[in-house]
Amino acid sequence: MGIVSAFELLAKYHSIFLLGLRNTLILTATAFSIGFALGITIAVLREFGPKPIRHLLAAYVEIIRGTPMLLQLFIVYYALPAIGIVLPPIAAAILGMGLNSGAYQSEYYRAAIRAIPRGQYEAALSLGMTTRQLIEVLAIPMAVRIAFPSMVNELVYLLKYSSIAYFLTVIELTYAGKIVGAETFQYLEVYTIIAIIYFALSMAIVRFCKFVESRIRVPGLGAPEATRGLI
Amino acid sequence: MSGEILRVDNLWKSYSETPVLRGVSFEVLRGEVKVIMGPSGSGKSTLLRCINLLVRPDKGRISLEGKEVFPKPYDSIHRIRQKIGFVFQSYNLFLHMTVLDNVRVGLIKVKKLSKEEATKRAMEALRIVGIGPELWNKYPAQLSGGQQQRVAIARAIAMEPTIMLMDEPTSALDPELVGEVLNVIRDLAKQKMTMLIVTHELDFALEVADEIMVLDGGKIVERGKPSEILNNPKHPRTRRFIERLRRRVEHGHR
Repeated sequence: MGIVSAFELLAKYHSIFLLGLRNTLILTATAFSIGFALGITIAVLREFGPKPIRHLLAAYVEIIRGTPMLLQLFIVYYALPAIGIVLPPIAAAILGMGLNSGAYQSEYYRAAIRAIPRGQYEAALSLGMTTRQLIEVLAIPMAVRIAFPSMVNELVYLLKYSSIAYFLTVIELTYAGKIVGAETFQYLEVYTIIAIIYFALSMAIVRFCKFVESRIRVPGLGAPEATRGLI
Repeated sequence: MSGEILRVDNLWKSYSETPVLRGVSFEVLRGEVKVIMGPSGSGKSTLLRCINLLVRPDKGRISLEGKEVFPKPYDSIHRIRQKIGFVFQSYNLFLHMTVLDNVRVGLIKVKKLSKEEATKRAMEALRIVGIGPELWNKYPAQLSGGQQQRVAIARAIAMEPTIMLMDEPTSALDPELVGEVLNVIRDLAKQKMTMLIVTHELDFALEVADEIMVLDGGKIVERGKPSEILNNPKHPRTRRFIERLRRRVEHGHR
């Protein structure tokens, strides 16, 4: 074993590594986006929507949080065909992960919406804003800023947990490693390479998000500002 | 142009069995400045919040320009609120918006003005309160309390309300910043802006108010010309309250 053989592996099997990398990135990005849209929608409806919808969505969130993500993927991929919904593996994985992430993300945004000071809502109402205008102008833009650190957390989490798409036969990074390992029996080198790729990706995501956060940060709002020079 | 802008009739409000307003009645005429004073817990904030329906009264009647606002609003509540400017003790500027956006967001989103028209009006309002262009792109947290409150006043007047409600607009300010905010309100009074102001600033009330109403225990216990109320209060509770305020001013803290 050694660095040389690791590079040889990479060179020889680069197309399958790249395929795995591509699918991992697609899974992560699309599942996160679906989760973001779903999460914001659920959070807003649970805070401002009519009562029956609030209860319905609360039940959804609890069911998703109370069952394993792997099981949810199995249901989407293996069980839905029984009622006539047949999805290709990657679509099933994206849908399952998106539905799962949406439930978790909704809790972040809901907590953030509640963390917006009451006076902000009073000011919006006193200008004559409707609930819809208040959501658009105040609740969502502020909640996203407040919830931003949790969003980064969720993105990095999804990057790593996209590996369970493996069980739906999606050739993502981990599966790609498994294939190369099975062919070469160089499991140590292969899985080291895979681990380094995951680690590098999550570092890159964190870096990029720090940059985005610095762009959307507003003085007086958010943790880095609150504790600066204090501790 | 004269006429009645606001009428409040026998207004009652309780918070879980605790009565806060117990039959408050008064009126504000066009161009008038009325000041409400009273010890903490006397129901001043609740009264103002009832008028723009941030708090729902239990019973009574409120009308704006002769049209009923409570209990049977003549229009949707958010359209009625557009006519009532509100200035909060703690400014409540939108923290994630610049000064300019704070003032024009209501014009764009609520009044549906074009961005150009809204910006023009917002700049005008900011000039009225003495906030110069160098501050227009700052965020609230980058301003002093006095500047924030002046922006908040600009945000309210840009909507061209029929009446302004101010809930202790200078109580959260450092003493040296009170003057700049009172000057702005004084200017508005000179422009004949109709205002209902909760304040403990005696000299200011004496100068701008057409009438002072003293609220205590959820009732108006005394009302009249500022000079009468401040120099010759009839009600013993008013007398004690005013004496306390004077002592605080003499000792230099608010």
